Amino acid sequence: MQLSRPMMIVGHILVLAICLSILFPMAIVLSTAFKPMNEIYAGGLLPQAPTFENFARLFEKTAFGWYIWNSSGTTLLRVIGQLIIGVLAAYAFARFRFPYRDVLFALVLGAMMIPQVLTMLPIYIMMAQLGWFDTWWALIVPNLATPIAVFLLRQHMMSFPNELIDAAQMDGAGHWTTLWRVIVPNLGPAMAALTIIIFIDSWNEYFWPLLVTESAHSRTIQIGLREFLQEDMNDYGALMAGIIVASIPAIAVFLFFQRRVMDTFVSSGLKG
Amino acid sequence: MSLHQPQKQVVAGAVPAGAVSGQPSARRQRRDLAPWLYLAPTVLLLAVFTYWPLLQTAYLSLVDWNLNPGQSADFVGLNNYGRVAGSTLFQAAFLNTLIYIGASIPLKVLLPIPVAVFLWSVGQKGHFYRAILFLPTLISFVVVGIAFLWILNPIFGYAKVIFAELGLRFPNLLADPDTAIWVIIGISTWKVLGFNVLIYLAGLASINKELIEAMRMDGAGDITIFRRLIWPLLTPTLTFVAISTVIFTMQQVFTPIDLMTEGGPSNSTTNLFYMIYQYSFVTFDVGGGAAGTMMLFGFLMIMAFVQFRVLDRRAHYQQ
Repeated sequence: MQLSRPMMIVGHILVLAICLSILFPMAIVLSTAFKPMNEIYAGGLLPQAPTFENFARLFEKTAFGWYIWNSSGTTLLRVIGQLIIGVLAAYAFARFRFPYRDVLFALVLGAMMIPQVLTMLPIYIMMAQLGWFDTWWALIVPNLATPIAVFLLRQHMMSFPNELIDAAQMDGAGHWTTLWRVIVPNLGPAMAALTIIIFIDSWNEYFWPLLVTESAHSRTIQIGLREFLQEDMNDYGALMAGIIVASIPAIAVFLFFQRRVMDTFVSSGLKG
Repeated sequence: MSLHQPQKQVVAGAVPAGAVSGQPSARRQRRDLAPWLYLAPTVLLLAVFTYWPLLQTAYLSLVDWNLNPGQSADFVGLNNYGRVAGSTLFQAAFLNTLIYIGASIPLKVLLPIPVAVFLWSVGQKGHFYRAILFLPTLISFVVVGIAFLWILNPIFGYAKVIFAELGLRFPNLLADPDTAIWVIIGISTWKVLGFNVLIYLAGLASINKELIEAMRMDGAGDITIFRRLIWPLLTPTLTFVAISTVIFTMQQVFTPIDLMTEGGPSNSTTNLFYMIYQYSFVTFDVGGGAAGTMMLFGFLMIMAFVQFRVLDRRAHYQQ
């Protein structure tokens, strides 16, 4: 639709103002991270003598290497697990008819509406009883079921062309082969969008790792940053370096899949 | 929903494939079991980590326990509810929760609408705007919280330097009970605005642009088109955004509260989620935490119900 000219101008001004308010704090963080100690508190948008010393100090003062390892490892395992488990459930809902299917589907969707805060206490106790406290298990296993993945993938599988499936089954492929050899490879954009959503969720997670991790050997980046903030409140150079390191993976994953995701997201992804 | 139609064809297509290979009864049994095998991981995980804990929270809200496995949990009935509801912490947290939600409706639910409509009308050229708007969704709330702690730092923060250059004194926003909550509301808006814009864009994408051209031909202006066509067609998306924003506002602000204010100054920024966290994991009062959780659950149900009633009446236009 074509807006009228004055509307267009108002729109550009509004959106430009919002974009600037988003970019400005980011620019400050970015420049502070590369400023030497004596420049940090002096204002000034660009560093006069750019340096990596903040990054060096970050890795010296904290167990950031461990945090990166824990965040990467748990996120990777979680994302793979969530995708596989989500694909399986979505296939069952999309391609089979069985008793209680609709009730079960409603229960899966209902879980989306139950925020973590409502269930954290018993899960926390469960983790302690299982001896999973302060291990990767506690970070991975309770988060493996993903209702949004089931919902999204089911939608896409239902609109999958039947000819392809019939052809595969004519060739003697069972459900398992059809699913992994025919359907999943053709769900590219949906899988990409989902991967980003799940990845960002897991990488940026704060509350749950805060509860169940204690030592540097299981702490994730986000919790490591919190600890650093509390121990070394005033070393803002290193803190800014830390938040840049913590943000790079999510932004990288996004840029990698970006085009497809925006399209899926906008055209089909979240339609109810 | 029209989604059920392709489903039947699919199942019909799957039947002959099984029937051809003979041994109908064995085949049938395997086919009946198959969906359950595919579903098993999700169903088990949700049962163990979502629905069972929900029931268990209800039970824990009736006992007195301090998370110590050696200690036995004493049944105290509804005592915890009265105790929590009567505390000043709960009253502050409840009031603040209403403020957080009240402020999030215009800022996070309504403000994204004109932005989305504008981007939609700009089309492909708006790609650059969209990418920038999406950036805050990618970075974590910890990152955002720490960045703003630095910018708003009253002694050597960036905002203070800029204010000083303009000859103004920069107030310590986070130490003032009147302003601290608005800092957190502002930051959480900064973080989720772009995501909600994208969801509205998804809703707008399904609107038939020919309808707009037709209205244009009849001489309708932008405002009329928005009021008579876009707004009604967008209502289902609005319902979705409103409900998810209310639920996630509870969760999202936990991180900035924990990092920037720890609920203070004088409980002015705490919310029900943070209160539950404090009961459960700071003072290890499991019964109090669980009772707070159940009250929050009830509150969220009521909110969702109200939103459905208010918004659903306007959602009859859905294609």
